[in-house]
Amino acid sequence: MDEEVRLMKGNEAIAHAAIRYGYDGYFGYPITPQSEVLETLEAEMPWEKTGMVVLQAESEVAAINMIYGGAASGKAVMTSSSSPGISLKMEGISYIAASELPAVILNVMRGGPGLGTIQPSQADYFQATKGGGHGDYRLIVLSPASVQEMADFVGLAKDLAFKYCNPVMILADGIVGQMMEKVVLPPYHPRRTDEEVRQQCPWAANGKGGRKQRNIITSLELDPSKMEVNNERFQATYKKIEENEVRYEEFMCDDAEYLIVAFGTVARICRKAIEEMRARGIKIGLIRPITLWPFPTKAIEELSKRVKGMLCVELNAGQMIEDVKLAVDGRVPVYHFGRMGGIVPTPDEVEAAFQKDFPEAENK
Amino acid sequence: MKEEIIIAGFGGQGVLSMGKILAYAGLMDNLEVTWMPAYGPEQRGGTANVTVILSDQPISSPVLNSYDTAVLLNQQSLDKFESKVRPGGTLIYDPSGIHHQPERKDITIIPVDALDATLELGNSKAYNMVLLGALLKARNLLSTDAVIRGLKKTLPERHHHLIPINEKAIEKGRELVG
Repeated sequence: MDEEVRLMKGNEAIAHAAIRYGYDGYFGYPITPQSEVLETLEAEMPWEKTGMVVLQAESEVAAINMIYGGAASGKAVMTSSSSPGISLKMEGISYIAASELPAVILNVMRGGPGLGTIQPSQADYFQATKGGGHGDYRLIVLSPASVQEMADFVGLAKDLAFKYCNPVMILADGIVGQMMEKVVLPPYHPRRTDEEVRQQCPWAANGKGGRKQRNIITSLELDPSKMEVNNERFQATYKKIEENEVRYEEFMCDDAEYLIVAFGTVARICRKAIEEMRARGIKIGLIRPITLWPFPTKAIEELSKRVKGMLCVELNAGQMIEDVKLAVDGRVPVYHFGRMGGIVPTPDEVEAAFQKDFPEAENK
Repeated sequence: MKEEIIIAGFGGQGVLSMGKILAYAGLMDNLEVTWMPAYGPEQRGGTANVTVILSDQPISSPVLNSYDTAVLLNQQSLDKFESKVRPGGTLIYDPSGIHHQPERKDITIIPVDALDATLELGNSKAYNMVLLGALLKARNLLSTDAVIRGLKKTLPERHHHLIPINEKAIEKGRELVG
């Protein structure tokens, strides 16, 4: 079937995109604000159309370990949850990363810490980009800002996961999960046949077949000298990802004297604030990291040589700002404006924060 | 063309589904649309609100400072959003159950007795459609055809027999705005 224009929530778009991009399985457990992913998949019954497996696991921990197993057999699999549920999955995510397996994990963030609130947040930036689970591993982290990107990144995440044999996280906020927008759903991609899996994933534990050796998938290596070699291999992969996969969007940066850095839906709120400030003659632009890891360090470094200052706007107490400051390296002042606990700022609040930090921009 | 709308009231009054039909109708008229709900525990009876943006241009922020039009269905919503209507904008409200009437002089204020109209129609569930009719007339938004097609998209097929009563309620709402 062809591509299709629909109106739907970001969470629903994720579910439809997973079917259309030829995923083999989804394993999840409900939690607000992302329960529509599982609900939509159950309603669509893809097992009757494409053969995709959809299962409500008994817990988040079970779901992530089902992903671990699915990925180990070379299948395209995903799970989804929201912040507290993602914390539960962290052990499994570390194991999947250590086993060098492709898997896709969606986090539709809600306010924390703890059980927190069901309202939107971006307070899991550190967890997604700096670890979360134990050990020296990295996730590729994609940050969607629209329902369209929710759908598109389901395809992109799958491609990247298999390209690097590494788990990919789609880190969305509750707004883009719950909001409805127009979305162009992709045409149906057929699921890979067992033969294609055998060819494309020679490492997969999917039966010995004609192979001489058994494929063994494990994160355990008790010999430290071998474990260090494993770590070096992981780091080499991460370096390749950093070289090839940085993605970001610039808005009105060409002549900008000031810059807002924001990701996800917040970047769109900032965009409106920028349109309003531009109308008053303030030369301000926006950089929106699309990959939160690898972070667009070089792009921000270059921009920091041309602008007078930056404002990071996030739904947290100041997390991405640490990566921005590393990129800026003290060249210009970098300030933070954040709302927490599920509160989402309006464009006016963003403007007011900018005016407070950069009063000279207004007086010119 | 750009219309930024807030619809707010009690959970159960059909606030979110009214916004949904509006958004679908916008889609049918080839507009860009966003529908952003406050998605808390509202469906269990608290206050609910939804922001709907219809535009012929790409939409930046789904979160707004102020609105062209507000449809406010209880006192809390009126208290919260009357001041957020842009000068020259429109405020539609149902006066039943309201004890402090809206007071702005720089906006168009339209009381719509939707509850009475709904009782006349004999279907209490059509309440939000009366208000939708009033909104469409007051702001001259969208074609009736698009709204009906939006309704068809929103309602599951087993409820399509309810479309005529909804159509009638939308007409009633239009009539209530002089």
